[in-house]
Amino acid sequence: MHIPDGYLSPLTCAALYGASLPAWVVASRKVRKVVKSRSVPLLAVGAAYCFLVMMFNIPVPDGTTAHAVGAVLVAVLLGPWAAVVAVSVALAIQALFFGDGGVLAFGANAFNLAVVMPLSGYAVYRLLSRGASLTSRRRAVAAGIGGYVGLNAAALLTAIEFGIQPSLFHAADGTPLYAPFDLAHTIPAMALAHLTVAGAVEFALTMGVIAYLQRANLPLLRINHRGVESAVVEGDQAGEGDVPARPRWRLLVVAFAVMVALTPLGLVAPGSAFGEDAPEDLDLAAYDIDAVPKGLRSYAGFWHNTLFDDYGFADERYPQLAYILSAVIGIGAIAVVVGGAALTVRFVQRRRVVATT
Amino acid sequence: MTAPAWLVTQEAGLCPCSPIGRRRKGSFVDKTIAGAARVMREAMFSDDVAARRGLLQSVEPRVKLVALLALLLTASLVHQLAALAALYAVTVVLAVASGLPIGFFVKRVWLFIPLFTGAVVLPATLNLVTPGEVVVPLGTWFGHEVGLTAQGLMAAAMLVTRVAVSVSIVVLLTLTTRWNRLLAAVRALFVPRLFVLVLGMAYRYLFHLLSAVTEMYEARKARTVDARRGGSARGRAFVAASAGALFGKAHALSDEVYMAMVSRGYDGDVRTLTARAPNVADLAFASAAVALSILFVLADGRLAG
Repeated sequence: MHIPDGYLSPLTCAALYGASLPAWVVASRKVRKVVKSRSVPLLAVGAAYCFLVMMFNIPVPDGTTAHAVGAVLVAVLLGPWAAVVAVSVALAIQALFFGDGGVLAFGANAFNLAVVMPLSGYAVYRLLSRGASLTSRRRAVAAGIGGYVGLNAAALLTAIEFGIQPSLFHAADGTPLYAPFDLAHTIPAMALAHLTVAGAVEFALTMGVIAYLQRANLPLLRINHRGVESAVVEGDQAGEGDVPARPRWRLLVVAFAVMVALTPLGLVAPGSAFGEDAPEDLDLAAYDIDAVPKGLRSYAGFWHNTLFDDYGFADERYPQLAYILSAVIGIGAIAVVVGGAALTVRFVQRRRVVATT
Repeated sequence: MTAPAWLVTQEAGLCPCSPIGRRRKGSFVDKTIAGAARVMREAMFSDDVAARRGLLQSVEPRVKLVALLALLLTASLVHQLAALAALYAVTVVLAVASGLPIGFFVKRVWLFIPLFTGAVVLPATLNLVTPGEVVVPLGTWFGHEVGLTAQGLMAAAMLVTRVAVSVSIVVLLTLTTRWNRLLAAVRALFVPRLFVLVLGMAYRYLFHLLSAVTEMYEARKARTVDARRGGSARGRAFVAASAGALFGKAHALSDEVYMAMVSRGYDGDVRTLTARAPNVADLAFASAAVALSILFVLADGRLAG
């Protein structure tokens, strides 16, 4: 999933360097606070470990091999912020010394694989492993699922970064200047590969390493799991004792706010998002077609019950503001769904704890 | 000291794809050992090239980094195929002037990029993906005309060339600069000291851990009698266990390194090698590179307009 130079426009690369920067700043502060002066060798060796994990060939059933990224594994072992730094450094070594992944595209690769992948995967891991003892099977499976989710989040972002290129950056005659496939092609292609084989490999490695350490070297798991009981389940408080919940939430809110504020960027960019408009808005003459294809016309308008048509106010004034507002509402809707799912999971867990005691 | 030639060349007879011996899919153990060897080989090769005398080797690393980044940015800014081709010619001239093996330099780029990027970009030449003027009709598909479009072919040619030029520029940078000098130069780009220190130590201990991986996998290979037994599930369990064991080694190593640092007077503050000041020749090189970049962008705009 390493993006080489030449696939993304310089503008996209710059934007993704900008997106990674706050994560790097926060990560280096957090890491220094948590591990203090020991941080330098631990991060350095962690980064080397990351590089090597990406080299491990993992056998898949048909006799060939695939390799995992391991960002969520490192997040579970060393903590999410240490993982941000370690994976970034591993990617930098690959780009600078081994020509794997671009130098201009380093910001994009770091954002996908070193920021979003460990943070999202670790969030899933924490959610699913709540209250589980350090040696429980559920903790290992939660790490595996975290790896799967993190990898797919990274793959989706990569697909989006590729997919916006042809509509934003093309020559006067429609020739794409960078990656030529649009979102309708990149997302299914990346999703197919990563939801199946690559995701399964990531799951197997992340879960396998945690399960191995549970059996063979428990002290190593304690580096990032201080205060987690290793034998018995003791309810929800067991794993949460020393972790203040507030700052974590505050950070998440800030990150989301930045992303919301960035949504109108698309309006500033030249060109329109290809394939996202209603049939009437298509510039058909540009493609030498004189009528909307029948299939397109019959499927357009298939779903009319959207909250905000075209993410804007009816009178089409203040497009930036309307964009931000619809982003806020969209995030709210997703938060309700995710929050509901989390509450359900917690409810089910409580009942299970009650049932076992 | 340079690495002996037999160490940096691949042996044809031992490649699993060769006609010698029975053909079978490479085992994950062999692939990992081969991958580790490749990393070592590339690092040794670039150290050898960086030690030669040549144009780019003599340029001060910070100046070289900035100049080559300007060229890299140019490669991503220009919109004309002719401009990209001319930029590639510039990289070849630089490679020759720096004493790089030219066959290697051209092959490294043109053997792999058309294979990967070319395969990826191939469907985009169809009018189904890139709408436009059909120049090579291929027949009809469900009543629609299918063919290669001028725009699609142009986009494919441009992407492949752009990737090739970008890779060539990065190869020039990494092959002509010793890794510790390159790291010192990275600091000139306002990268925090802590990151540069971590980067340098990670690169150093990468090879230490790499030999641990090689040993684990060679031991596994030596103990294996029938590679097909056990199936892929057992293989995955071994990979997970070796990755877990490697983490144990890595953690122990980081403790040892920390204690070694403290005993040598590490107090949390980072001191780095100071590079020599850029001289007139360095500045001349940098201004030439920047002028060339600006020239390319301007000429590209003229061509497009």
